[in-house]
Amino acid sequence: MEEEKRSPIHITEADVKRAYKKVEKFQRLLKRGKTKEQILNDLLRLIQGGE
Amino acid sequence: MENDLFRTIFNETARLNIPAVVIGGLALPAYNVARLTLDIDICILVTSQDVLNQFINALKENDISTLQNPKIDQDLFTVFGKHSEAEIWLKPCDAFSWDDKMVKRIQVYIVNVHVLAIEDFILTKLARRDRSSTDIDDIIQLLIANKDNIDREYMHYRLRWMDLLSDFNEILKKSKIDFGNFN
Repeated sequence: MEEEKRSPIHITEADVKRAYKKVEKFQRLLKRGKTKEQILNDLLRLIQGGE
Repeated sequence: MENDLFRTIFNETARLNIPAVVIGGLALPAYNVARLTLDIDICILVTSQDVLNQFINALKENDISTLQNPKIDQDLFTVFGKHSEAEIWLKPCDAFSWDDKMVKRIQVYIVNVHVLAIEDFILTKLARRDRSSTDIDDIIQLLIANKDNIDREYMHYRLRWMDLLSDFNEILKKSKIDFGNFN
Protein backbone atom coordinates (compact mmCIF):
# COMPACT_ATOMS: atom_id res chain seq x y z
CA MET A 1 0.00 0.00 0.00
CA GLU A 2 1.38 3.40 -0.92
CA GLU A 3 2.24 5.74 1.91
CA GLU A 4 -0.58 8.17 2.73
CA LYS A 5 -0.04 11.72 3.94
CA ARG A 6 -3.32 12.85 5.40
CA SER A 7 -3.78 16.02 7.33
CA PRO A 8 -3.27 15.72 11.10
CA ILE A 9 -6.28 15.34 13.37
CA HIS A 10 -7.12 18.57 15.14
CA ILE A 11 -10.09 18.49 17.51
CA THR A 12 -11.00 21.15 20.05
CA GLU A 13 -13.39 20.92 23.01
CA ALA A 14 -15.76 23.22 21.12
CA ASP A 15 -15.77 20.78 18.18
CA VAL A 16 -16.83 17.96 20.48
CA LYS A 17 -19.54 20.05 22.19
CA ARG A 18 -20.88 21.05 18.80
CA ALA A 19 -20.91 17.42 17.68
CA TYR A 20 -22.97 16.33 20.71
CA LYS A 21 -25.41 19.19 20.11
CA LYS A 22 -25.83 18.25 16.45
CA VAL A 23 -26.50 14.62 17.33
CA GLU A 24 -29.09 15.77 19.90
CA LYS A 25 -30.72 17.99 17.28
CA PHE A 26 -31.02 15.04 14.90
CA GLN A 27 -32.59 12.94 17.66
CA ARG A 28 -35.09 15.74 18.33
CA LEU A 29 -36.04 15.74 14.65
CA LEU A 30 -36.73 12.00 14.84
CA LYS A 31 -38.72 12.41 18.05
CA ARG A 32 -40.84 15.07 16.35
CA GLY A 33 -41.74 12.45 13.76
CA LYS A 34 -39.37 13.38 10.97
CA THR A 35 -38.07 10.26 9.22
CA LYS A 36 -34.62 9.65 7.78
CA GLU A 37 -36.25 9.49 4.36
CA GLN A 38 -37.79 12.93 4.84
CA ILE A 39 -34.43 14.33 5.93
CA LEU A 40 -32.76 12.81 2.87
CA ASN A 41 -35.53 14.20 0.65
CA ASP A 42 -35.08 17.67 2.17
CA LEU A 43 -31.38 17.55 1.33
CA LEU A 44 -32.09 16.25 -2.17
CA ARG A 45 -34.66 19.00 -2.77
CA LEU A 46 -32.01 21.54 -1.85
CA ILE A 47 -29.46 20.00 -4.21
CA GLN A 48 -31.71 19.04 -7.10
CA GLY A 49 -34.22 21.87 -6.97
CA GLY A 50 -37.26 21.09 -9.07
CA GLU A 51 -35.63 18.32 -11.07
CA MET B 1 -38.94 14.95 -7.72
CA GLU B 2 -40.45 11.82 -9.21
CA ASN B 3 -37.72 11.48 -11.84
CA ASP B 4 -34.84 13.08 -10.04
CA LEU B 5 -31.21 12.41 -10.76
CA PHE B 6 -30.53 10.64 -7.46
CA ARG B 7 -33.42 8.20 -7.71
CA THR B 8 -32.91 7.55 -11.42
CA ILE B 9 -29.34 6.48 -10.75
CA PHE B 10 -30.47 4.07 -8.03
CA ASN B 11 -33.36 2.76 -10.13
CA GLU B 12 -30.95 1.98 -12.96
CA THR B 13 -28.35 0.32 -10.73
CA ALA B 14 -31.13 -1.84 -9.26
CA ARG B 15 -32.41 -2.74 -12.73
CA LEU B 16 -28.90 -3.66 -13.90
CA ASN B 17 -28.11 -5.51 -10.68
CA ILE B 18 -25.19 -3.20 -9.88
CA PRO B 19 -24.46 -2.79 -6.16
CA ALA B 20 -24.65 0.93 -5.33
CA VAL B 21 -24.43 3.01 -2.16
CA VAL B 22 -24.74 6.68 -1.26
CA ILE B 23 -21.53 8.00 0.22
CA GLY B 24 -20.53 11.43 1.53
CA GLY B 25 -22.85 13.86 3.30
CA LEU B 26 -26.08 12.41 1.91
CA ALA B 27 -25.35 9.08 3.61
CA LEU B 28 -25.09 10.64 7.07
CA PRO B 29 -28.83 10.59 7.93
CA ALA B 30 -28.78 6.81 7.54
CA TYR B 31 -26.65 6.86 10.69
CA ASN B 32 -28.50 9.58 12.64
CA VAL B 33 -26.29 12.49 11.61
CA ALA B 34 -27.06 15.32 9.19
CA ARG B 35 -25.37 18.35 7.73
CA LEU B 36 -25.95 20.52 4.72
CA THR B 37 -24.33 19.27 1.57
CA LEU B 38 -24.57 20.21 -2.08
CA ASP B 39 -22.94 17.04 -3.39
CA ILE B 40 -24.44 13.80 -4.59
CA ASP B 41 -21.84 11.06 -4.28
CA ILE B 42 -22.80 7.55 -5.28
CA CYS B 43 -20.48 4.58 -5.37
CA ILE B 44 -21.16 1.65 -7.68
CA LEU B 45 -19.51 -1.73 -7.98
CA VAL B 46 -18.91 -2.66 -11.59
CA THR B 47 -16.54 -5.44 -12.51
CA SER B 48 -16.27 -4.93 -16.26
CA GLN B 49 -16.17 -2.11 -18.80
CA ASP B 50 -19.16 -3.72 -20.45
CA VAL B 51 -21.35 -3.31 -17.37
CA LEU B 52 -20.10 0.24 -16.87
CA ASN B 53 -21.06 1.05 -20.47
CA GLN B 54 -24.51 -0.47 -19.93
CA PHE B 55 -24.97 1.76 -16.89
CA ILE B 56 -23.86 4.88 -18.75
CA ASN B 57 -26.18 4.06 -21.66
CA ALA B 58 -29.07 3.47 -19.25
CA LEU B 59 -28.48 6.89 -17.71
CA LYS B 60 -28.30 8.45 -21.17
CA GLU B 61 -31.77 7.09 -21.92
CA ASN B 62 -32.91 9.03 -18.85
CA ASP B 63 -31.30 12.28 -20.06
CA ILE B 64 -28.39 11.89 -17.67
CA SER B 65 -25.07 12.26 -19.40
CA THR B 66 -21.37 12.48 -18.77
CA LEU B 67 -18.82 14.57 -20.64
CA GLN B 68 -16.16 12.01 -19.83
CA ASN B 69 -15.48 8.63 -21.30
CA PRO B 70 -15.48 6.64 -18.04
CA LYS B 71 -13.15 3.68 -17.76
CA ILE B 72 -13.35 0.86 -15.28
CA ASP B 73 -9.99 1.75 -13.69
CA GLN B 74 -10.94 5.36 -12.90
CA ASP B 75 -11.83 6.50 -9.37
CA LEU B 76 -14.88 8.50 -10.42
CA PHE B 77 -16.74 10.41 -13.09
CA THR B 78 -19.43 13.08 -13.10
CA VAL B 79 -22.92 12.76 -14.54
CA PHE B 80 -25.28 15.65 -15.25
CA GLY B 81 -29.06 15.78 -14.96
CA LYS B 82 -31.24 18.74 -15.89
CA HIS B 83 -30.44 20.87 -12.84
CA SER B 84 -27.84 18.98 -10.85
CA GLU B 85 -24.91 16.66 -11.08
CA ALA B 86 -23.63 13.60 -9.27
CA GLU B 87 -20.23 12.07 -8.80
CA ILE B 88 -20.21 8.37 -9.56
CA TRP B 89 -17.41 6.64 -7.71
CA LEU B 90 -16.10 3.26 -8.82
CA LYS B 91 -14.51 2.67 -5.41
CA PRO B 92 -15.85 3.67 -1.97
CA CYS B 93 -12.88 5.92 -1.25
CA ASP B 94 -9.87 7.17 -3.18
CA ALA B 95 -7.68 5.17 -0.79
CA PHE B 96 -9.30 1.73 -1.13
CA SER B 97 -11.45 -0.43 -3.38
CA TRP B 98 -14.47 -2.63 -2.88
CA ASP B 99 -14.06 -6.07 -1.35
CA ASP B 100 -16.50 -8.90 -0.61
CA LYS B 101 -16.81 -8.10 3.09
CA MET B 102 -17.81 -4.54 2.28
CA VAL B 103 -20.41 -5.63 -0.26
CA LYS B 104 -21.95 -8.18 2.11
CA ARG B 105 -22.36 -5.52 4.80
CA ILE B 106 -24.21 -2.99 2.64
CA GLN B 107 -27.28 -1.66 4.47
CA VAL B 108 -30.69 -0.52 3.27
CA TYR B 109 -31.13 3.25 3.68
CA ILE B 110 -34.56 3.77 2.13
CA VAL B 111 -36.39 1.77 -0.53
CA ASN B 112 -33.98 1.03 -3.38
CA VAL B 113 -31.19 3.11 -1.82
CA HIS B 114 -28.30 1.64 0.14
CA VAL B 115 -25.34 2.71 2.26
CA LEU B 116 -22.10 1.14 3.40
CA ALA B 117 -22.00 -0.41 6.87
CA ILE B 118 -21.25 2.21 9.52
CA GLU B 119 -17.70 0.87 10.01
CA ASP B 120 -16.90 1.07 6.29
CA PHE B 121 -18.57 4.46 6.03
CA ILE B 122 -16.38 5.80 8.85
CA LEU B 123 -13.37 4.37 7.05
CA THR B 124 -14.22 6.24 3.83
CA LYS B 125 -13.97 9.47 5.80
CA LEU B 126 -10.88 8.60 7.80
CA ALA B 127 -8.93 7.19 4.85
CA ARG B 128 -9.55 9.98 2.33
CA ARG B 129 -6.33 11.38 0.91
CA ASP B 130 -7.75 14.92 1.14
CA ARG B 131 -9.36 14.31 4.54
CA SER B 132 -10.76 17.57 5.92
CA SER B 133 -12.01 18.90 9.25
CA THR B 134 -15.55 18.20 7.97
CA ASP B 135 -14.67 14.51 7.69
CA ILE B 136 -13.36 14.50 11.24
CA ASP B 137 -16.52 16.30 12.46
CA ASP B 138 -18.63 13.71 10.66
CA ILE B 139 -16.68 10.86 12.26
CA ILE B 140 -17.11 12.32 15.76
CA GLN B 141 -20.86 12.65 15.25
CA LEU B 142 -21.11 9.17 13.74
CA LEU B 143 -19.29 7.75 16.75
CA ILE B 144 -21.49 9.64 19.23
CA ALA B 145 -24.69 8.59 17.48
CA ASN B 146 -23.72 4.97 16.78
CA LYS B 147 -21.12 3.90 19.32
CA ASP B 148 -23.33 1.11 20.71
CA ASN B 149 -24.06 -0.27 17.26
CA ILE B 150 -20.56 -0.42 15.83
CA ASP B 151 -19.13 -3.88 15.25
CA ARG B 152 -15.89 -3.30 17.14
CA GLU B 153 -14.13 -6.36 15.78
CA TYR B 154 -14.90 -5.38 12.19
CA MET B 155 -14.03 -1.72 12.83
CA HIS B 156 -10.70 -2.83 14.28
CA TYR B 157 -10.05 -5.06 11.28
CA ARG B 158 -10.74 -2.24 8.86
CA LEU B 159 -8.60 0.28 10.73
CA ARG B 160 -5.68 -2.13 10.78
CA TRP B 161 -6.27 -2.92 7.11
CA MET B 162 -5.78 0.76 6.23
CA ASP B 163 -3.19 1.39 8.95
CA LEU B 164 -5.50 3.96 10.55
CA LEU B 165 -5.82 2.55 14.05
CA SER B 166 -3.71 5.31 15.59
CA ASP B 167 -5.71 8.04 13.80
CA PHE B 168 -8.94 6.50 15.04
CA ASN B 169 -7.63 6.24 18.60
CA GLU B 170 -6.52 9.84 18.44
CA ILE B 171 -10.07 10.88 17.54
CA LEU B 172 -11.43 8.80 20.44
CA LYS B 173 -8.91 10.32 22.83
CA LYS B 174 -9.38 13.93 21.76
CA SER B 175 -13.16 13.70 21.61
CA LYS B 176 -13.33 11.76 24.90
CA ILE B 177 -15.90 9.39 23.44
CA ASP B 178 -16.29 6.37 25.70
CA PHE B 179 -15.52 3.55 23.32
CA GLY B 180 -13.73 1.35 25.83
CA ASN B 181 -10.30 -0.08 25.21
CA PHE B 182 -9.71 -0.04 21.46
CA ASN B 183 -6.10 -0.82 20.72
